[in-house]
Amino acid sequence: MDEEKLSYFLQYSSIIPEFDRFMDILKIPQPYWIRVNTLKIQEDKLIKRLEKKGFVFERFGNLNAYKILSMPVKHPGATIEHSLGYYYVQDLSSMAPVFAMNLRPGEVILDMAAAPGSKTTMMAEIMRNRGTIVANDVSLSRIKSLGGNIERLGITNVILLRKDARKDLFGVEFDKILLDAPCSGEGVIRKNPWNFHPANEREHRYLREQQIRMLKNAVKHLKEGGIIVYSTCTFHPLENESVVEYGINKLNLEPVEFDIPISNLKGVDEWMGESYEHYKYFKRIYPHLVDTGGMFIAVLKK
Amino acid sequence: MQFSKNNQYRKYFVDRFGISAEVMENYEFFERGKSVWAFTGKYVDVEDMEAMGIRALRLGRGLKPSTAFLRIIGRYATKNVIEIDEREALHYLRGEDIDKNFAAEPGYVIVKFKDNILGCGLYKGKLINQIPKKYRFMDTWV
Repeated sequence: MDEEKLSYFLQYSSIIPEFDRFMDILKIPQPYWIRVNTLKIQEDKLIKRLEKKGFVFERFGNLNAYKILSMPVKHPGATIEHSLGYYYVQDLSSMAPVFAMNLRPGEVILDMAAAPGSKTTMMAEIMRNRGTIVANDVSLSRIKSLGGNIERLGITNVILLRKDARKDLFGVEFDKILLDAPCSGEGVIRKNPWNFHPANEREHRYLREQQIRMLKNAVKHLKEGGIIVYSTCTFHPLENESVVEYGINKLNLEPVEFDIPISNLKGVDEWMGESYEHYKYFKRIYPHLVDTGGMFIAVLKK
Repeated sequence: MQFSKNNQYRKYFVDRFGISAEVMENYEFFERGKSVWAFTGKYVDVEDMEAMGIRALRLGRGLKPSTAFLRIIGRYATKNVIEIDEREALHYLRGEDIDKNFAAEPGYVIVKFKDNILGCGLYKGKLINQIPKKYRFMDTWV
């Protein structure tokens, strides 16, 4: 990875614990992770099949999530089993917001920015294709890839919409909303360093405004007592703690404590003179914790 | 264009593939244009739906089941299922036809290798490939 991109992350030296380890791991390509689609196949059966083809895995805890240690193909999706929808290539960190949803049978869920569908399909798997997930994205091409993944994984409880999550009305209220907001994507730099372009302060502020617009619209569509899981795959506090504090202070949302089965650290308490009172409620996953991408997660109740 | 509910399509899967009515009752069917969608969620009246569940059938001169839906319900089928061996499965997944007689009625069939439902086929004395291009096996795969 080029030094210019790496040096961008030096601004986080005061907020990321074990910062040297964080910087070291950014230099190492991110391993692939897969999630077994238990709607279509038993976990051990798939793993044995792929191992027979030359894959080497490390299971994470008791989750149906596996880190690929080595593989006989260039991309982990280049198998018959992938085409049959037996697994999804999904980073462990991106599973965290779904765990924070604490899904229950029969719920009606809105996934506001759903494409390409890793979290939508994981929610459907946990819900065993029951209840309803309204999966939305603004871009037609992204909706197509979302639709393709839903079809491949055999998901039958999803309604697809193409709306602007910042302003469009959905016409109903939801039990829970996942707002995995578009962001500056710093947490995926290891996965795709070539496409990573460090954002400047103005861009972070613009993204924050858009994220707040989405959060406001989410609140409008949430039932009283319902929750919003807000997540991004970036480290910048302006797109994370700052947005969520806005929700708490201006939109009367209540921060909720939650657990996820993936190593994490609490939120950031202060950034550039702005302090975040509720930082202990928020979770951050850093790449150096369990060799993943980065993720921020908060749960807010209406 | 609106989705309109029509559960008559359950009967197609019961009659053609011998899937029990009980299994088919898990799915609600919705028509829109030339497609029929299978849905297991609770109906929510949101505006401007792009898709609902999974495309199960295409309407034309007859009904054509989709590979995606057969891959879900195919395990419950008791007739018009064609089992092929590993070598044939690789050919089939590459998009090739299989010139061989099978014990199936002419028309759309479920193609299977061991526990894997590969998808839809059209049987008329030989097995004509119906696997969509996006699911076809490529040389760089394992």
